[in-house]
Amino acid sequence: MSETLLRTVDLKKHFALTGGVFRKVIGKVHAVDGVNLDIKKGETLGVVGESGCGKTTLGRTILRLMNPTSGKIFFDNEDITNIKGRALRRVRMNMQIVFQDPMASLDPRVTIKNSIGEPLVVNGVAKGRRMRDMVLNLLEKVGLTEDHLNRFPHEFSGGQRQRICIARALALNPKFVVMDEPTSSTDVSVQAQTLNLMKDLQDEFDLTYMFISHNLSVVKHMSDRLAVMYLGKIVETTPHDVFKMSLHPYTFALVSAVPIPDPKFAGRAQILSGEVPSPISPPPGCRFYPRCIFAQDICKTKDPELRDVGNGHLVACHFAGELDFGKSAQMEYADSLNGTYA
Amino acid sequence: MASDELVLHVKDLYVNFYTYEGVVRALDGVEMFLRRGDTMGVVGETGCGKSVTAKSILRLVEAPGKIEDGQILFYDRDYESNEIIELDIAQLAPQEMLGIRGNKISIVFQDPATYPNPVFRIGDQIAEVIELHQDLSLDVLYMKIAKLELALSEAGAEADRAEIEGKISYYRSQLDDPPEPDKKSMREAAKLKAIEMLRLVRMPAPEQVVNQYPHELSGGMRQRALIAMSLACNPSILICDEATTALDVTVQAQVLKLLNQLKHEIGTSIIVITHDMGVVAETCNWVNVMYAGTTVESCETDRLFAHPLHPYTAGLLTAVPKLHEEKERLPQIRGSVPNLITPPEGCRFHPRCDYATAVCKEKKPILEELEPRHWVACHNPLSD
Repeated sequence: MSETLLRTVDLKKHFALTGGVFRKVIGKVHAVDGVNLDIKKGETLGVVGESGCGKTTLGRTILRLMNPTSGKIFFDNEDITNIKGRALRRVRMNMQIVFQDPMASLDPRVTIKNSIGEPLVVNGVAKGRRMRDMVLNLLEKVGLTEDHLNRFPHEFSGGQRQRICIARALALNPKFVVMDEPTSSTDVSVQAQTLNLMKDLQDEFDLTYMFISHNLSVVKHMSDRLAVMYLGKIVETTPHDVFKMSLHPYTFALVSAVPIPDPKFAGRAQILSGEVPSPISPPPGCRFYPRCIFAQDICKTKDPELRDVGNGHLVACHFAGELDFGKSAQMEYADSLNGTYA
Repeated sequence: MASDELVLHVKDLYVNFYTYEGVVRALDGVEMFLRRGDTMGVVGETGCGKSVTAKSILRLVEAPGKIEDGQILFYDRDYESNEIIELDIAQLAPQEMLGIRGNKISIVFQDPATYPNPVFRIGDQIAEVIELHQDLSLDVLYMKIAKLELALSEAGAEADRAEIEGKISYYRSQLDDPPEPDKKSMREAAKLKAIEMLRLVRMPAPEQVVNQYPHELSGGMRQRALIAMSLACNPSILICDEATTALDVTVQAQVLKLLNQLKHEIGTSIIVITHDMGVVAETCNWVNVMYAGTTVESCETDRLFAHPLHPYTAGLLTAVPKLHEEKERLPQIRGSVPNLITPPEGCRFHPRCDYATAVCKEKKPILEELEPRHWVACHNPLSD
């Protein structure tokens, strides 16, 4: 068991909802509502969920890009929930983020050299010639060349821009990087390149990733462990294998809804009815009960705790392990491919 | 299920966009055919011309874009005489297109948040399509008769009954030669049809939804409403341009299931434009793969997944991470999609292709039927 790098304890982030003439607070969006996470050194934790489930807010709150409403964040055994100023900047050198849209996260009027070099200058690591050499080194790591140094973001393709963002995130040699939907705006052929690059860099720089995406297949490919979010809460944390391990009915439904790339299995997806409820007034009790076919009376009143069912597998369901989902088309497809999911 | 009767044939289509940077050769000889009753997938990456093809079929390509050459043959069946009329959409006058667009061929766009007009009620937007394209005079008469019959069952006095019965028989006599209805009753009849359409797409509580505005509906519901709008005139072809891309997986699964059900219920031929091979496998029985403005492969879906013949298709199939496989690294297609202002000579895929030879750099491959019902545009196709 390796060391924990990042830990959150009952982390909450609520956004105030204002209305009326005096902008009175009329409600709260429960974007992240009590998240307990452990990320170990060197691993990749994947975070999946549908839009609006709070995965991006979680990533940003962990990096203190937003201040949490309540709860605690520990990075390298240090409480960073309330640190400010110089102390925060020192911690931030070790934690970076790559955003979804590489065009929006690069300044269109700054050359690539200065974009990637800015964190080096701001933190007093290097400047001038030394900064240029370090930037060039980073560019080569992500597969770009010296010619690209003085170009502007618009001269690059989407995939190249995302590489530049990755290079910038790695400039300060961080320990922890949040990847917030890094490939959802790129094409599949470029996505494969980017994902391979991220894996290579992880090995080379000994990085810990938190990989956020709505695409289950991509997250599964990248991660050692998966956390499934639903309406601001983590409903299941599984050690890697989503098929064997999905014990929460939502995880099971989410996995089933992914289209199978084989026409023989067409029309066999198990379909979840309804849509995600509003995080302004989440349902009482278990947040998933209005859409859950197994829901019973207790689910309507009592919010299930995230509990360990063995081997570090956490599930927030009153009936974890007792439900029989049957064999899904996904499992049969997996069987037909390699026969390991008996 | 599929007959061999064609409903659409895109022949050697060229579309250019004249921009400041130069001429973008967006479509470079696209070939595509759709059989009646088929669901055809069009897959490819960003900029490969999927959406431009769809827009060309509806003649929605606007300046600086222009259809340069080629034919878009639409085989319109006249249900009364059962004759098939061949129309070349690329040559039709804008006025003639009005009778086809939204009526014979309709489209559902990608983003349900921006597409329905936010200031009109859902019901009015669907009713508008119906009023514009359909003759509602009979529907108006039936609606009036139904209303009177309801009144008749409630009426008490003998005199009232006689009067209502008189009106009913008057309207009945008009059924053979219905008069032009007034605007108000036409809107009313169209709205009733809109409710019917919403029911067809399994919208919960359609009677309420017709009076709601788009912002009151969720993404999945809005997409259902848009599908209802597109199907309102019972079109021969429905084009879904990345219709589920903006939706979450669980909602996407709901919409895909709906499309599969509708295809059997109403017999419309569907073109599904997507970049997701999983969506193709789920819904389509035929598939066209596009790359940089050309059709590279066209065959039955089962065949494509089992034996892709074009190196690009094979790369596309393996580059996607799958839930079911353990892979340390993904096989990748090197390089990126070419700039279409200066596309590569010869085969547009050759700079990224592992099988490229000298001929690929010089000669553009044409789409040929290499195996029965399997068309490929490649000089060095993969063997089975």
